[in-house]
Amino acid sequence: MPLLVAPALAFILAGSLLPIAATAWEALHGHDLRLPWLGRPFIGLDNFVEAAGDSRFRAAFVHTVAFAAVTVPVELGLGLGLALIMQTATRGRSAVRLAALLPWAVPTVVAALVVRFMFDGQTGVVTAMFRSLGLIGPAFDWLVHPLGAWVPIGVADVWKTAPFVAILLLAGLQTIDPALHEAASIDGAGPGRRFLTITMPLLTPTLVVAAAFRALDALRLFDVVYVITAGGPGTATEPLSLYAFIALMQRLRFGYGSALSVTVFLLTFGFALVWVRTLGRSLVGERA
Amino acid sequence: MPRSLAPLVCAVAAALSAGCGGADSTVSLTFSGSAVGPEGEVVSRQLARFAEQHPGVDVSLRVTPDAADQRHQLYVQWLNAHAPEPDVLQLDVIWTAEFAGAGWIRPLEGGDTDFVAAAWQAAHWRGTLFALPWFVDVGLLYWRTDLLESAPGSLARLRDDAARLAASGPARFGLVWQGARYEGLVTVFLEHLTAFGGRIVDAGGQVVVDEPAAIRALTFMRDALGAGGFVPASVLAWQEEQTRFAFQNGEAVFMRNWPYAWALLQDRAQSAVAGRFAVAPFPAGENGRFTAALGGAELAVSRWSRHPDLAEALARFLTAPEQMLERARLAAQFPARRSLYDDPALADALPIPLEQVRDALDAAVARPVTPVYTELSEILQVELHRALSGQATPEAALHRAASDMRALLARSGLADEGARP
Amino acid sequence: MNAFRFLRIAAAIALLGLLLAPIYWMVVSSLTPEARLFQAPPLVPRAITLEHYRALFGERQFLVPIRNSLVVAALTTLLAVPVAALCAYAIARLEFPGRGLLLALILSVSMFPQISIVPPLYLVLRTLGLLDTYPGLVLPYVTFSAPLAVWLLTGFFRQLPRDLEEAAMLDGASRVRALRDVVLPLAAPGVATAAILTFLYCWNEFLFALSFTLGPDRQTVPVAVTLFRGRYQVPWGQVLAATVVATIPVAVFVAAFQRRIVAGLTSGASKG
Repeated sequence: MPLLVAPALAFILAGSLLPIAATAWEALHGHDLRLPWLGRPFIGLDNFVEAAGDSRFRAAFVHTVAFAAVTVPVELGLGLGLALIMQTATRGRSAVRLAALLPWAVPTVVAALVVRFMFDGQTGVVTAMFRSLGLIGPAFDWLVHPLGAWVPIGVADVWKTAPFVAILLLAGLQTIDPALHEAASIDGAGPGRRFLTITMPLLTPTLVVAAAFRALDALRLFDVVYVITAGGPGTATEPLSLYAFIALMQRLRFGYGSALSVTVFLLTFGFALVWVRTLGRSLVGERA
Repeated sequence: MPRSLAPLVCAVAAALSAGCGGADSTVSLTFSGSAVGPEGEVVSRQLARFAEQHPGVDVSLRVTPDAADQRHQLYVQWLNAHAPEPDVLQLDVIWTAEFAGAGWIRPLEGGDTDFVAAAWQAAHWRGTLFALPWFVDVGLLYWRTDLLESAPGSLARLRDDAARLAASGPARFGLVWQGARYEGLVTVFLEHLTAFGGRIVDAGGQVVVDEPAAIRALTFMRDALGAGGFVPASVLAWQEEQTRFAFQNGEAVFMRNWPYAWALLQDRAQSAVAGRFAVAPFPAGENGRFTAALGGAELAVSRWSRHPDLAEALARFLTAPEQMLERARLAAQFPARRSLYDDPALADALPIPLEQVRDALDAAVARPVTPVYTELSEILQVELHRALSGQATPEAALHRAASDMRALLARSGLADEGARP
Repeated sequence: MNAFRFLRIAAAIALLGLLLAPIYWMVVSSLTPEARLFQAPPLVPRAITLEHYRALFGERQFLVPIRNSLVVAALTTLLAVPVAALCAYAIARLEFPGRGLLLALILSVSMFPQISIVPPLYLVLRTLGLLDTYPGLVLPYVTFSAPLAVWLLTGFFRQLPRDLEEAAMLDGASRVRALRDVVLPLAAPGVATAAILTFLYCWNEFLFALSFTLGPDRQTVPVAVTLFRGRYQVPWGQVLAATVVATIPVAVFVAAFQRRIVAGLTSGASKG
C-alpha cells in the first residue's frame, strides 16, 4: 500500500514541502547573489524586520489584501447571478456552459493581454467607449493612473473567474430538490422569499468553498498584474507575490526575497486556517 | 508504473534537447549586445569576419532589447543562472564593476593599455581588468544651425536662446533631454551637476550628492521645466529615442543626446533637420568648464562560457583598431582607443566633425564605479524624478538620496572603499 | 410572467455577450491590419489580414514556444496522472490510518503560493544544470498539478462500487490485477479528466516558466507571448495573434470535453 502513495508523496515532499522549509530557512539569512563577498550569514529575523519597515512591502500587503477583499465578493455575486441565469436556460444549456468555461480555460496571461489591449490608452476599445460616453477625459490612460490601473487588472481577474464560480454554484443549485421550491410556492412564497430561505442556505456550503478557493487565488495574485502593469505605475499595483519575485529574480536578494515569500505563504496559510476553523470541517472532515 | 516511466521521460527529454548544441565539431560562440540600426549591421559584419578568420568557429548574435535597463535585466538573469551563453557580452560602462563583483565575468590579461583613461578605469574592479573598452559615448548638445549662429558657451546663454526661440517658433521646444525615471536621467543630471561644480561621489568614494552645488544644479533643471521654462514637461517620460524624434521632426532647438543620434538625424529620408544641426559640449555653468557624461560600452567574457579563450579572442578582435575604425565610420561611435584620436583616418571615418566633440571627450565625467551602481542610481533616479515632477523640493530629494545611498554602501560592505574602482 | 421571462432571456444574452466579448475582440483584432490597430478598430472589421499570423510563425518563430509547451505539458501529464491515480486509489479504497490527513496534506500543497518555493527550487535546478530545460519545468509542474488530480480521482474512485474489485479478488486475482483489469477501465473517464485538467494547468502556467527558463529555446507559450517586444511599442497585432493561437487548443479541449470537465470540477466542491 505505501508503494501506491509513495511516488505522490515523494513529489509533494521534494517539490513543495522541503522547498517551503528551505525558503523559510533562507529567509533567516542574508543572501545577496550580487554581493558574494558578504557571504550568507545567519541573521535571524532581520529580513522580516526590514520588511516591516519597508513601505513598499506594506503597500504590497495592502494591495494584496484589498484586491482579495474586493474581487472575491464581486466574483461570487456575479457568479451567483450567472448561475441563476444558467439554471433557467433549458435550451442551449450546453452553449451557455461552454461560454462560461472558455474564460476559465483561457490562459491567464492571454486574458490579461486581451484586457490590456482593450484598455489601452490609445487603441483600446473600452477606453474609446468610455471616452465617447464622456466618462473619462481625452488624455486619460488607465495604466498611468495609480487607481485606474487596477481596473483592467480587476476586469481580467473577474472575467476569468466569475464564470468558473458560476459553474461551481450551478452544480450546487442543481442539488437543491425542486420539490422544496414547489412546496414553498404553494404556500405562497414569491421567488425572492424562496431564494432567501431555501436557495441561499442550501447553497451556502458551496459558496463557502468557492469563496475560499477564490480568496486563496486572489492572495497569490501575480500573472495578471505582471502582464498588465508589471506593478506600475511605479509600484501602485504591486501585490506581494510580485514584490517577492522582483526581490528574488531581479534584485537577486535571495534572503530578503525569501522572507517576502514566507509572508505570502503565511498570509495564505493563515487565511486557510482561519477559514477552516471558523467555517468548518465541510472542506476536509466529511470525506475521510 | 511511475518508476518505469522516469527513465522514459528522461530519454525523451534528452532526445528533444539534443537538437541544440554540439554533437558536431563546430565551436559556437554567442555574442550579445546592442543591435540598433547601424550598430547591428556593423557588429554582424565583424562577427562574420571573425568566423571567416577562424575556421570551425561559428559566431551568432543574440538579440537583446534596445533599452539598456532591459538588457541589463536579461544579462543578470542569464549570468545568475550560470547560462553558458552568451560567451561575449557588451556591457554598459557602469555594469562592469557589478558583474565583476558578483563573479560573473572572467578577468582578462592586462597587456594592451591603449584605451581612453576614464573607460579604462571603469573596466577594472579591485585592481583587476575585467573588460575591454569598446566605444565611448559622451553626452552632447545638438543645436540647430539654421536658428542660431553658434553653440551657447554658457548655461545662461543656452537658457536664453532656448526660451527665446521656443516662444517665437518654428521649434516649439527650447531644449529637450532624457527625463524619464531611468539611467539616462542620471547622466543628464550629471552634466548639469558638473556644470555647477558638483559631484556624485568625492575622491574618497563618499557620497556628496547633497552638497549645495548639487542642489543648485537640480533646482536649475526643475525651474527649466516649470511655467516660463524652456524644457517641455513631457521630457519626464522621454528616453533617448523620444528626444531624438522631437529634434528630428524639427520640434526642438536644442537636444541633449548621445552621438548615436547623429547618423540618424542626417538621414534625409527620415529627418527634417538633416544638414541643419551641429554638436557641441554641454555648456559650462558657474564652474566655467564644459561637461559631458561618459557612457559607452565594454566587452566582457562570461565566466560560464564553454570556450573562454576563444571568447576572449573575439573580444580582442572587436576592440582592435581596424574594427573600431569601421564602427566609427558606420555607426558614428567613438573608439575607446586613445591612439586612434591622433590618426587622421578617424577624423575621416567619423561623420561627426572631430573638433566638435573633442572638447566633450576631454571633459567627460564618469559615473561612480561600484558593484552596487545600479541600485545607487535607482535611488538617485527616484529622487531626481520626484524633484523634477514637483513632488519634493530639490534639497529634500537630494538629502534623502544621499542618505539612502550611504546606507546602501554601508550594508553592502562597501562603506570604506565607497564608490571607487 | 412573460415579461419576466423575456427579461431573463435578455439578461442571459447580454451576459453571454460580455463573457465572449474579449474573445471576439481578440480574434477580430488579430485579423486587423497593423495600421488600423492604432486607431481604435471598428467593432465589425472591414479589412481582414493574415499578416500578423505570418509574422508570428515567420520572424517570431512561434512554433518554438508551442513545441515547448506541448512537450512540457505532455511529459507532466504522463508523469503526474499515473502517480496521482495510484495515490488516489490508495486513499479511496484502502483503510490506513491518517489517510484523511494525507489527503488534506496533498490538497494543502495546491494552496501554497508558488512564489514561496521559487528560491530553493531555482538554486537546486541551477546546481543540477536543469535551468532552461524541460525536466526543470516538468518537476515543479508535476508537484503542483498532482494534488488537483489526486483530489479529482479520489472522489471518482470513491464513487465506483467496491464490489467489482472484491469480486475479482474473490476469484483469485491479486489487488494489483484487480486494479488493472477491473478498476482501470472503469476509471478511464476520470483519468481522462485528470489528464485534461493537468494538461490545461501546464499550458496555462506562468510563474515557474518565467523563473526557470532563460530564452526562447525553452520558454513556454505564456512566457513567450508576454515577452514579445517591439522596437518602440508592443506589437499588438502579433501579440493578439499569439493569444488566439494559445487559446485554440484550450478551446478545442473545453468544447470537446466540457461535460467531463464540469463534472470533475464540481464533484468535489458540492457534495461530500
